[in-house]
Amino acid sequence: MLRFYHSEEVDGLGGFVLARIEVGLRPDFEDSVSKRLLRRIELFDFNLRKKIRWARLLEVYWLDIAVPREELIPAITEICWDKVLQWVFTGNLMPSAAGKSGGLQDLMQESPFRPGKFWGIERRFRAGVTDNVGRALIEAFEIVLGRSLSQARASSGGLWLVEGPDLNEDGLAIIAREIFCNELVETWTLVPEELLKKNDRFHQERIKYDLPKIPRQGSESIEIFELKNLEASALEDLSQKKYWGLSFIEMKAIQEYFSEPSEQEIRKSKGLLEPTDVEMEIFSQTWSEHYQHKIFNSKIHYQEKDSDLIPRQIENLFQSTIRATAIEVGRSWLLSDSHENSGIYSFDEEDAFCIKVETHNFPSALDPYGGALTGIGAVNRDILGCGLGAKPIFNFDVFCLASSDYAKPLPDRILHPRRILDGVRRGIEHGGNKTGVPTINGALVFDDHYLGRPLIYCGTGGFMPRRSGERSCEFKQVLSGDRICMVGGRIGKDGIHQSTLSSFSSLALDASSSLPAVQLDSLTQKRVMDFLLEARDQGLYRAVTNNGAGGLSLSVGQMARLSGGAILDVGLAMTKYPGLKPFELVVSESQERMALAVPPEQMPQFLLLAEKRGVEVSDLGEFTQSGRLEMNYSKQRVADLDLKFLYEGLPQLELTAFWEGRPSAPEQGLGSAQACLDSLIGQGGDILLHLLGQPNIASKEWLIRQYDHEVQGMSVIKPLHTVISGTLTALSGPNDAGVVKPKVISDRGLAVGCGIQPKLSEIDPFLMAQASVDEALRNILCVGAEYGTSDCITALVSSFCWPDPLRSPQKMASLVRACYGLREAALALSIPLVSGKDSMKNDFQGKCEGRPVTLSILPTLLMTAVGRVSDIKLCRTADFKAVGDCIYLLGGSQFGLWGSELMFMLNQKGDIKPTIQDERGFRTGEPSWTLARKVYSWIGGAVGKLQIRLKSLHDISEGGLLVAVAESLIARGFGAALHISVGVNGWEFLFGEGFHSFVATVSEEFSKSIELEWGELGVPFQRLGIVQSPPYLEVSLVDPESSTNLKSLFKVDVKRIRSAWSKEGYWE
Amino acid sequence: MSGLKIRALILTGDGLNCETETAQAFQMAHFESEIRHLNDLISEKMTLNQLSLTYSVIAFPGGFSFGDELTSGKVLALKIQYRLGWNLTEYVARGGLVLGICNGFQTLIRMGIFGREVSITHNLRGHFINKWVKVTPHGNKCVWLRGLGTFEVPVRHAEGRIILGSTRRTEMLDKMNHLGMTCLKYDVDLNGSEESLAGLSDSSGRIFGLMPHPEAFIRWTAYPDWTSQPARASSPGQGLAIFENAYKEAASAK
Repeated sequence: MLRFYHSEEVDGLGGFVLARIEVGLRPDFEDSVSKRLLRRIELFDFNLRKKIRWARLLEVYWLDIAVPREELIPAITEICWDKVLQWVFTGNLMPSAAGKSGGLQDLMQESPFRPGKFWGIERRFRAGVTDNVGRALIEAFEIVLGRSLSQARASSGGLWLVEGPDLNEDGLAIIAREIFCNELVETWTLVPEELLKKNDRFHQERIKYDLPKIPRQGSESIEIFELKNLEASALEDLSQKKYWGLSFIEMKAIQEYFSEPSEQEIRKSKGLLEPTDVEMEIFSQTWSEHYQHKIFNSKIHYQEKDSDLIPRQIENLFQSTIRATAIEVGRSWLLSDSHENSGIYSFDEEDAFCIKVETHNFPSALDPYGGALTGIGAVNRDILGCGLGAKPIFNFDVFCLASSDYAKPLPDRILHPRRILDGVRRGIEHGGNKTGVPTINGALVFDDHYLGRPLIYCGTGGFMPRRSGERSCEFKQVLSGDRICMVGGRIGKDGIHQSTLSSFSSLALDASSSLPAVQLDSLTQKRVMDFLLEARDQGLYRAVTNNGAGGLSLSVGQMARLSGGAILDVGLAMTKYPGLKPFELVVSESQERMALAVPPEQMPQFLLLAEKRGVEVSDLGEFTQSGRLEMNYSKQRVADLDLKFLYEGLPQLELTAFWEGRPSAPEQGLGSAQACLDSLIGQGGDILLHLLGQPNIASKEWLIRQYDHEVQGMSVIKPLHTVISGTLTALSGPNDAGVVKPKVISDRGLAVGCGIQPKLSEIDPFLMAQASVDEALRNILCVGAEYGTSDCITALVSSFCWPDPLRSPQKMASLVRACYGLREAALALSIPLVSGKDSMKNDFQGKCEGRPVTLSILPTLLMTAVGRVSDIKLCRTADFKAVGDCIYLLGGSQFGLWGSELMFMLNQKGDIKPTIQDERGFRTGEPSWTLARKVYSWIGGAVGKLQIRLKSLHDISEGGLLVAVAESLIARGFGAALHISVGVNGWEFLFGEGFHSFVATVSEEFSKSIELEWGELGVPFQRLGIVQSPPYLEVSLVDPESSTNLKSLFKVDVKRIRSAWSKEGYWE
Repeated sequence: MSGLKIRALILTGDGLNCETETAQAFQMAHFESEIRHLNDLISEKMTLNQLSLTYSVIAFPGGFSFGDELTSGKVLALKIQYRLGWNLTEYVARGGLVLGICNGFQTLIRMGIFGREVSITHNLRGHFINKWVKVTPHGNKCVWLRGLGTFEVPVRHAEGRIILGSTRRTEMLDKMNHLGMTCLKYDVDLNGSEESLAGLSDSSGRIFGLMPHPEAFIRWTAYPDWTSQPARASSPGQGLAIFENAYKEAASAK
């Protein structure tokens, strides 16, 4: 009898029914989600948008819950239907609240266009991908029905009802592909009006067909590779074919390893002969660029024409520059200096913090939403896997994209930058907001060099106690005998080869055997985060690490190095569905998983807590001291590798690098001193307004406000300062960096800021790296981080994204120069480089309008500065605070226009042609580290005492001094009167960019004493003018001798400044 | 009175994420805060009786319970109703107080605390918004808002548009106004919420739910323009008064 029921249940006939449920807002309420979709279509194609006159979105659920009809219907009503809000359509299953017919035609009746021409676009998930709604449905039915439903299936999708006489299948297909669906994880169908009005889609057979299928089952066997007889070319071909990404030299080393007699003897005794696919995949992951940073660790022969600042022979680029800087600078607060995970730094006697930046460029190019979502998820888990586990307390994100109004033809498979931005924005929103981690800082860089490969940097800061019971939290420890546990999401076919694929420049991948797209189940991730921190505090595990790139192969492999070996059965890992091959189990990178070492005596409690918190644990095996990484699948040995060789046997790359020197500076537009000044008169204001509207400068408020930047209640300095009182609409201006207050009982804070200057890469990557360091540090100094004091804590994190340096000695040289520029700046400022990340293959090879194209990004270095703030009550923001305050230029005053935002704008816009004068030709800003240390030591509180009198501080970066002043006026609406001295090159002074410079304000009463202090300490300053009540930014020329105003150069209304800067409504 | 502990229970689990700062807000208002995982309360079979004896306040903090799937707060509401079966109206009748913030408020709405004709859905602009707003209490029924004038708080939500059943809208609104339930409104139309409602209370005035986050403004340095008045840096924020009101009420009942 039981058996009979079982088969009925599968068929969905007899006593049990399958259900298709469509729910949508009642027609009385405005469908804002549809409105949003329409807006996205409008941004994509205005004419297509005009064809839709009316639209309503319905959620669709498919259910196979084997309970009797009389139980199912009330449960569906309870779970899926909010009667105040929604109409529900289920075919004949249950009565509808809708009008006469009880079908979708009731909704169409409510459209103002009757009779109209209606269409439906239906989307549903592809088999095997994560369906969060489906998972929530099953949990909800379990709650309501009061029992476990382990055999139940539920999936979700959407049906978009649209109306428009001009809509046709072609247009709808574009909407489906480009806006409504993500084809990597979803499929779609168009449903004509006649079918929408019928009930066919609710028939049992049809629902059965629509319910998700388990992906086609593959064989669970392993593949063997006869490496020993393969010639060089065959080795390389094999690596290519299998997407291992291993070079000929690496394949050769592996071939030799397997043919060593001692190794063969061991393998024979374990029942293994030739290498298995599992073993080759482990090598592929462990020896990937992603994990080993092969280019960074290469030996380099460097050459340049003019100078020998950089050694000609570099034994190991990373060790000689970044690592060496950390060692030379060295700080007692550096508790752990692991480059692979995050470093760990002491915050005070009790607590420590950590910071990590990751990139998700390749996945985000394919799937912007999923790529960014999983990027933020992954870096959160890196922090969770840092030391004994830290709690993520803030996120920050930087995106580099082509301009959002890019109008030239797109290469095949390249998404429009606007779609990428829209997708990554949603990804970060969901990744951060849903797991309760605030996004406190970020940047957007627009440059068409990023068309082929957008850069998506995701960073996270974490906080942890320094001790948990007897244990010190900064170190990982694994003992032989500890259990190997995997917690979190189950393994599926998604995310196989993700990190190795990112080394390929083509997007045209054969994805038939795997789903490179990865999704995040944010609820599972949040549950895992909560559970692990609780387990840490109870001392239930000994080590934890993110099961990220490379899957189990790397997470278990790295921990195995701590004990000296591991043996596990990968067949014990929980999977989403059967039929996964052993190698897939080992390398799948899908999300929400962590790997742990749990002492055997703690296992019962560990498992109990996991069960209580709704987190799944797979006990895979144990750590050993055998010196080997041993893997079984159902008792059969599938991998048995020497750990030492696996982690240390990779042959070092040897590369050549050649630097041709800087290109020559542009010369057009040079004129006489008088012509230069004349050209500023009248025109200066317009130039400023144009600059403020440049995508790299304009307000990002539309983006920032869609991220939760305050959850966890720690925020002190937010991405924007906002003036609320007195106005109905609050007005906001930019802040330089974010500050959080991680402890309730302490007034200490943490500041985080970014520096990124890729445009300078085209001039000299050395300068670019220096500028990035300087900008990042200036940003945190602005908000109140310490510098130069005896107990100050300031660290720099470097994140390199490069066009493949293996393509040419010039590209390699750009990497070398950036590393040395970085090293010079960090050493000069005495700040350790503590952790970092590199992504080296940011090129695209494909076709554009039938012709082959190669697109490479600008060499890009994101510097993140993190610093401790001794007292958050002394934090500062950029806005001018009161009328009558004195405005100063503080620090460096040597600005250059070469590589500036102004020059970039002038190259784009032919209509503005100012005269720019300089007898020496165009120049760049150049650093002076001695000056920098003086200025920063004063701002950072190491010398002097009047820094507390600074009422505002804003760094001068993109757009130059005038933009910095304008940004400080935006929120409060005051004006400013500025003076330029006769003889100063006005264009360079107002719009040039450089190093070590700030705009500061001080109240009049302290101006004399602060000027005296600056004078004594050798801090360069220049009085620029005052904050005034009339809402104008006025610039006039003065005679420095007599201090008399000679003439007004230009005057701009602050309202115009504000509207030029905030293009509100442009995006959303 | 002294030495008598007045306890606040702050729920967590299943994607809630504002439990720490909410607990801190109650702590600052002199409560003894306890953060408890929903699953632990379920496995202990915590009854309404025990709840009343142990805690003067239950708080449902903000977050994304069950990832906001199947409408925000829905699955959490079902879990509380089916697995714990607490009757919150009964709980406040015995002298308890209930607070729901953001996702916690959505959960209270889904539980039917404010009547069967009240619901909440996506903001009119269709997206998540994090912004500071002015809100003003209306009427004097809500215990939590006693004595408060207009104050500022951040909102951080995608689904804050309060909806009343359309067939009986006017009737419902009159009734809710009459009962003092429409207790907190935005000064400007933020998200298309009915009557610019930011929060609701039940007819007893003891259950209070709101979309803005008062727990995010318990210190002055959380205010987005605090640096223009640095002399106030050590002051508490305007959101604290809500928690202090609860303490006064709970202390007077002891």
